[in-house]
This record gives sequence, structure tokens and C-alpha cells, in this order.
Amino acid sequence: MKPVADMKNIHQLDLAQIQAQTRRHFLGWGTGGLGAFFLNSTLANAAPAGGHAPLDFARNPATPLSVLPPQFAGKIKRVIYLHMGGAPSQLELFDYKPTLARFHGHDCPESFIKGKRLAFIQGIPKLLGPMFPFHRAGKSGTWISDRLPHLERAIDDLCVIKSMKTDQFNHAPAQLLVHTGDARTGYASLGSWVTYGLGSENQNLPGFIVLISNGGTTANAGKPLWGSGFLPSVYQGVACRSAGEPVLYLDNPKSVSRAERRKVLDAVDEINRQTYQQFGNPETVTRIAQYEMAFRMQLEASDAMDIRREPKAVLERYGAEPGKTSYANNCLVARRLAERGVRYIQLYHWGWDSHGTPTDEGLNVGLVGRCRDTDKATAALLADLKARGLLEDTLVVWGGEFGRTPMWENRGGQEMEFIGRDHHPNCFTIWMAGGGIKHGISYGETDDMGYEIARNPVEVRDLHATMLYLLGFDYRRLNYPYQGLDQKLTGVKPARIVSEILA
Amino acid sequence: MSGGDGISGRQSGRLSAAAYFGCVALLTLAGVGLSILAQPALGHDMLQLMGLERVPQADSASFYAKRVTPLLETRCAACHGEKRQKSDLRLDSFAGLLRGGKHGAVIRPGDTKNSELSLRISLPSSDDRAMPPSGKPPLTEDEKTVIRLWIAHGASGVLRDIAGAPKPVAEVKLPELDTARVEKQRAPLAAMVRRLQGRFPGVIAYEARDTADLEINASLRATDFGDADLQALAPLAARIVRADLSGTAVTDASLPVLAAMPKLKNLRLSGTKVGDIRGLEAAPALKSLSVVNTKVSGSALAAFKAKGITVYGGGDGP
Amino acid sequence: MDREPETRVRVWDIPIRLFHWSIVVLLCVSWFSAEQGYMRAHLVSGLTLLALLLFRIAWGLVGSTTARFSNFLHPPRRVVGYLKGLAGGDKIFHAGHNPAGGWMVLALIAVLLAQVATGLFANDGVRFHGPLALLVSEDASTRLTDIHGLIFNFILLLVWCHIVAVGFYLLVKGDNLVWPMITGKKHRARLPAELNIVFTRLYIALLLLAVSAGIAAWIMIQGDSIL
Repeated sequence: MKPVADMKNIHQLDLAQIQAQTRRHFLGWGTGGLGAFFLNSTLANAAPAGGHAPLDFARNPATPLSVLPPQFAGKIKRVIYLHMGGAPSQLELFDYKPTLARFHGHDCPESFIKGKRLAFIQGIPKLLGPMFPFHRAGKSGTWISDRLPHLERAIDDLCVIKSMKTDQFNHAPAQLLVHTGDARTGYASLGSWVTYGLGSENQNLPGFIVLISNGGTTANAGKPLWGSGFLPSVYQGVACRSAGEPVLYLDNPKSVSRAERRKVLDAVDEINRQTYQQFGNPETVTRIAQYEMAFRMQLEASDAMDIRREPKAVLERYGAEPGKTSYANNCLVARRLAERGVRYIQLYHWGWDSHGTPTDEGLNVGLVGRCRDTDKATAALLADLKARGLLEDTLVVWGGEFGRTPMWENRGGQEMEFIGRDHHPNCFTIWMAGGGIKHGISYGETDDMGYEIARNPVEVRDLHATMLYLLGFDYRRLNYPYQGLDQKLTGVKPARIVSEILA
Repeated sequence: MSGGDGISGRQSGRLSAAAYFGCVALLTLAGVGLSILAQPALGHDMLQLMGLERVPQADSASFYAKRVTPLLETRCAACHGEKRQKSDLRLDSFAGLLRGGKHGAVIRPGDTKNSELSLRISLPSSDDRAMPPSGKPPLTEDEKTVIRLWIAHGASGVLRDIAGAPKPVAEVKLPELDTARVEKQRAPLAAMVRRLQGRFPGVIAYEARDTADLEINASLRATDFGDADLQALAPLAARIVRADLSGTAVTDASLPVLAAMPKLKNLRLSGTKVGDIRGLEAAPALKSLSVVNTKVSGSALAAFKAKGITVYGGGDGP
Repeated sequence: MDREPETRVRVWDIPIRLFHWSIVVLLCVSWFSAEQGYMRAHLVSGLTLLALLLFRIAWGLVGSTTARFSNFLHPPRRVVGYLKGLAGGDKIFHAGHNPAGGWMVLALIAVLLAQVATGLFANDGVRFHGPLALLVSEDASTRLTDIHGLIFNFILLLVWCHIVAVGFYLLVKGDNLVWPMITGKKHRARLPAELNIVFTRLYIALLLLAVSAGIAAWIMIQGDSIL
């Protein structure tokens, strides 16, 4: 393959410079020039906010995913994020509330609902105690319910955060907040930021891969969850399938050989090169790079996704069945991708929205099923990463987009057919495992009723800041200039790195 | 005749207008005076305004300034601060806190039980008088403890430490990037690094922007990378902190090279042909070693474990 | 003794008297409930005040002679003249409100109305807000809350003026204005010679009151539907 890197980069630099000289910069210079003249004396001693040159993320457009070192030595190299879409109930899995159990069936205190906006609850609902028995597990004595018997074996590897909070109580915005740092669409996802900041080690695979189970692509918030927002599109997540061809339309059509495909690509590349020479737009070079990566992916992606290559015992441990689309298969693929140097691996498993409306949304039915779908595979993934030495520089995050109420949902003031809980942004539980964080600990507490956070609240942006810290970034400095603002994942509000959970 | 309908034989009232308005003025003054007395804060306000009383100030190094202020600022001052003064109470300054609101003092130094502030933050959020009021997140247990302890210890603006106070949340100090210093550290080997990066694309990278240390990851080159290639990296050996050689063609022949790397912390040899790793434990900085899917025997690992090196795989393997 | 009834003449109708004393009670209730944070009571009291004020305005247009604005709102010159006369010890009698008192009534109604209106949009921070507070921005609501608190001082000032004036009539002029406001009757000796008071029928008052209460209730329900 003819490297594209030897193209006249000087052109691209020229263009970048011209593009950078916008009217905004002129005005900026104007105020900087004239304003500075007046303000020089006053501000002479005051360093600008931030006080340092921005980090440089410029790359050769022909290799947009090339590895860049982090700002400082990170603790982890990659992230596997297990998102449980629909928001699993913390009160049935990790956040044990004996007091709530004692008040099971009582009317909920007025203060829980007075003046509050709840998604579906109306009137005065009853309190709902934990549906499943809890016990302490592992050396750490971490509380866990009987629904996650496999994960329980890895409990001492987990850092359980019981005091997560969000300000969104509907799925799509809450999911967007978790994955892009903002409840609105149009922002860059966490995986995009990470691949933008660090690149990816494997140039034959996307740096950010998304694997979805139970519900196809019907994410509440849709593809913006792994979109690149204002970041260059090359950093967006690529949704792959664990059955059939991993990426749709990646394989050659029938009767087209790989050699023929190469010829076609060479021709397309040549045309693109001419276009670039004529107009000098670096996006054209990126496009060539994308074509080339797709060509390389034909081999590499098929290999990475093909879990048939795993020994039977491994398939058995995960509960994976080749040819199917399942969370178990995705977990196994996640490990294979982690081994192959993929930077950010995002799993979505839907169906945790336990309202109690249809069967599948009951705590007593749906949640049990989702636990069964995921428990074994999650535990196997952790064990596998650990055994291979990968867990020490991988961060595994498990969690939903918000929590669930301690109240029994009574949609429209009616008793529901199945037992359920409503959306609850005030507190929810996530866990992390892997490099750079303490394991076998629980961080944060909710009150006795599991309604509010009583100790150590962790905002979503705090989680993001902590994750970026583990990857080697000051969250304030992983920036991208857009719309006159140095955009960052954590938004404009100050975030806090959760120092207490750092190893 | 009933006296009630305001009619009497007399044509005029019992008082002269001057006497009446004199009385009214006196009564009004007395009323205003009493209402000021009922709100001692108002009296202090006036004295302070006239410069007859010192405005209380807290020491910037005090427990109050360090622990109580940030809490009040973030959790209370939106309603009891500069913009709004609900109940005529300001909690955004030491003076305001001591002054109290229109229902009197909110703090009785040393007496937590009878301090309104401590009382209000302790009420369950279902209580109408709870602060912050229901709908706003209540103070966390640690935050409540900080306020209670401070009041119990005399609500001082000078006192520096209070034993038993919950630890302040530790702030992570993020290192600043000193580009000039890093450039200097990298300079001696910079040309060599660049040359070898050109020869082995994607294999050699700086560990971070703020260091001259290097990482090598040859795992993606698989069997295209062998002992000779590792040998070629020898000029950088002193800087290598992490080496991932998983799945490469390196053999036992490379082990002495690796063992001599003074900074090597993490080494991955999984899926390689290495078998006899004795001596590798001598690598001075080695912390973890992966030998999954190799012929490394379990017995060889004891020496590593004895040195506190974490070993993945070896023996039976996963 | 049979002359007694003739010496006392009815000047205040029942609606006016009930209105007057209801306002006194509701003002106290509103004040107390706001101070103590009984916001539900404050809401009810405020809305009742609103209904009464609306009724009073209507009654001031179609009610009995002594209740009508046209009867007791005199041009400023007459008010000044009246006050001068008062200082000079003149004995001028009025069946209803005297020229100074008339403007006092209007001022009280206006200030109370403003107070009720701002209260509808006010909020107490988090726990409680007026029925229409959600119709305006949080900022506006907060500003109106501040005004709500400010206007109360004017109410206090007017009430003080009112009581001082009544005391003046009672103690200096020997004219008890309180008792007639209870019984509705005044001694003929303290009334102008020519007296022509027409009383509007009670059912009209009831009708107006029902309409006013309806408006207040509607506002309340409007608010509830927003809540």
C-alpha cells in the first residue's frame, strides 16, 4: 500500500493556517492588540486562566488515529464501558436499604414527591423495599444482591460508587449526559474524546468500537451516544455486530475479489489525491485514510470479531454462542478488541427500564432476565482481563444513565401489573474495575431510604474527569476549539477528580 | 344611652390634637424601638454602620474559612447571600453568620443543640423547616458534621483545626506541563527516537507529554518483530518503562536485554516462545510480567513473586 | 325610649361591614402564616383577600351609596379643605367615608391588590410558590417576591395611618367610627342633615361575591393545573 503520509503536508499546513485566520481571530487580535495596550499594566502579573499553551492534538490527516502520548503518564490504556441501557435498579443490585424494606408498602413521605418532577409516578406511591435478598460478599464485605452470583466472585476487584447523580430523568438526555457530558445532542462522546486525545494503537481497526445487544440499535438517544459531535468525524464510534459481518457493507460484494477491491481503491485514492492537490482540503486526505482503513479492516475486523477462534472453554465461561448477537458474545469480542489495541470499547445492553408496565420491564421479571443475560459474561470478562494481565491497564465501567426510585411506580396513579420503579436521577450506582483505582471498596452513600445521596456525591462530570485523569489527562486541557470555546468533555461547570477512589 | 355609638353629650373629644399626636408619636417610637430590640441583629447593624462596633472577621487560615465557608457558599448562599437574603439572613460572610436573621441568632457558640443552623440542617427533608429545603439536596453527613463541630468548638473565626473533623476531600494536584524541561530531557536521544520510530512505526512512543520515558508496543506487529528488532531498540533501553511484546517472535535470547532495562516496569511476553525466564526478575524496576500462553513453568515464577512482581499466566495459564 | 331607634341611622350595609372586618382578620392571618411558614394557609388567605377585593371594587361601583367610590372620592381640593377644617375644629359630618378617609380606602385597596397580585407570582425559594408563579420566569418570580415583601411595609404604614386617624376621631373629635362599622348605625347628630342613602339589595352583593370568588378559584385551579 502506498503510504499517503508522504503527500505535501506543507499544503495542508497552509490551509490550516488560512482556515485558522477567521474573522473571529482578527477581532480577537483586535481586542488583544488594542485591549492589551490598555490593560497591559493591570494584567501584567495575572496569568491567564489556565495559564498555559493548549495541548497540541494536530496529526497528519493521513493517520488521524495515530497514537499521541497523554499529558502525563496515565494509569490505563483503554476503556471498556458496559452501559446498561434503561437504568438498572441500584436498589435491587448494589444499594442495600434495610430501612426501606421495613417501610415496604407504606405511603411514601410527602417530601419525596412534593414539588418534584417524576417521569411517571402520580399521586402518592407506596414505598418498595428491595425485591431480592442482599448479603455481604468477598473479603471487602461489599453488599450485593443474589441476582449477580457470578459478578460476586469478582466483587473484590470492584470499586462500587453508590453516590452517582445526574440532573436528567429521561433516558435519552441522561444517556447523552453520561456518554457526551451534555444532555443535548451535538457533543463529542467520551470515546471520541479519548481517541482524539490518545489515538489508537491499532491502525487497522477503529479506535472506538460500539457493540450493542438486546434491542439492536434502538438506543433511546440513538447514534449521537457514540457520535463525535464537533470533533472530526474520524473519532466517532463504529458500531460493530457480533454476528454476521462485523461492520455492515464492509465485506466485498460477492464475486469481487480482494485484489479487485484493491484496484478500485487505488483508482479512488488517485482521484482523491488529485482533488486534494487541486483544493488542498485535509478532509480529502482523511477520506483516503478512511478508505484504506476500511480495506485493512476487512481482514482485521473479521478476525477480531470472530469468536469462533476462541477455545470452547472460553466460550463456555462467557456463555458466548458464535453466530448470535448477545451481550456474552460482545464481552468476549471486547476482550479480543482490548488485546488488539482498540482504545475505547463501548457495550450497550438494553432493557433495564424496570417500570413494571410490560413483563419485560418488571423488577421481578425483566430485571431478573437482564441479570441472567449479563452476569456471567461480565464476570468472565473481568476474570479474563485479570488473568491476562490486561486489567491493570484497562478500566471497566458498568452502569446505567440514572437510578430508580425507592417508590413503587404507579403510572397514572394506577397499580401496575408488574413491580417496577420510576426513573430516579438523585442517586444511582455504578462500578469500576481496573487500573489506577482502588478495588474492593464502596464509595459514597445514599440515605436510609435510598432517595438522596448522604455522603460523597459524584456528578457525571466528576466521573468523566476521573476517567480522563486515569487516561493521563487533566480534564480541563483535553480541549477542542469550537464555536469560540475551548470545548471539553466535562462542560463549563467545575468537575472534581474523585481522589478517594484512586489507587 | 349606649356609650358605644360614639355619642355623648359633649361636642368635642377628651384630648387636644397636640396631645393626641404627641402620644401617637411616642407610641410609634416605642413600637419601632421594641421591634428593633426583638431583632438584635438590627441593633448591631446600626452600630456597625456607625462604626461603633467592629464587623467580625474570620482568619483566612481558620477552620471556618477553610472548611465552613466553602460549604456555606455552595449550599446556602444562593438564598442566604448576596443576591437574596431569605429571612434577612446572610450566610456568605462570617459577620452575617454571627448576626443571624430576622428570627434572631442562628448560632449559639458552643451550643450545637440550640443553634438554629445546626437544628435546621439536621431535620429530615420531609420537615417543612429543613434546610436546605426539600427539593434541594440535603447536606451530606460529613458536611453536617463539619458545621456541628465548628459550632460546638465555639463558632470561632480563628481556631485552625478541630480534632475529629471529617477529612476534607482531597484535591488531585494535576501536574503542569513544562515543555522546555521535557524537551531538554528528551534531547540526548531525540534523534535516535525519531529514527527508530521511522523504522518501527507505531512501536515506540513517549509514555506521556511530560516525560522522556518510552513505551514499546510490538504486539501488533506480531511475528514481524523478533529478537533482532528488539536488539535494534537497545539504544533506548535506559528509557523504556513498558514493553508489550505479546505475540511477537522474541525468544529467550531477548531476555537479558530486557532484564537490563533499568526502568522497565511492565513487561508482556504472552503468546511468545519464551520459556526459561530465569534471571528476568533481576530487572530492577519490574512490577508486572505477563507470560500467558507461553511455556513458562510455574516453578520459575517463585523468584518473581518473591520480589513482589505480579505475574500473569505461566504454569497452567488461563 | 321609643325615640332611640330614630336617633340612630343605618349608614353601612352588611357587605361593607363584613368586608372591613374580614380584611382585618385576613391581614392578620396572612401576616402570621407568612411569618410562621404556613404557606397553605397563606395561599388560602391571599386568595380570599383577592376575592374580597374584587368584590369591593364591584361594590364600589354598584353597591349602596356609602360604598360607592363616586360617593367618597372627592377632588383633592375638597380633601385639603376638609383637612384644614378638621384642624380648625370644624364640625362637618359625613354619612360614609369622609374626604380624607375615602382616599385612604382607595389606597388600601390598591396596595392590597398589588400585594395579592405579586403574591400570586411569588415563591419562597423552593418549597412553595404562588399559583401563577410558573407562568413567569424564575427570575421574574423572585423579583416579584421581593416586591411582595416590600409592599407589606406600605400596608403596615397605611394600617398605621388608618388606626391613628380613627384614634384621632375617637379621642380628639369624640367621634367613634369603630362602633358604626360594627353595628352599621350612626347617631343622627353626627350625620349631615340631608341624608339620602340608598342600600343595594343583598342578593346583588351575594352575586358579586360569587363571581369574585369564582375568579379567585379559577386562578387557583389554573395554578394547580400548572403544578
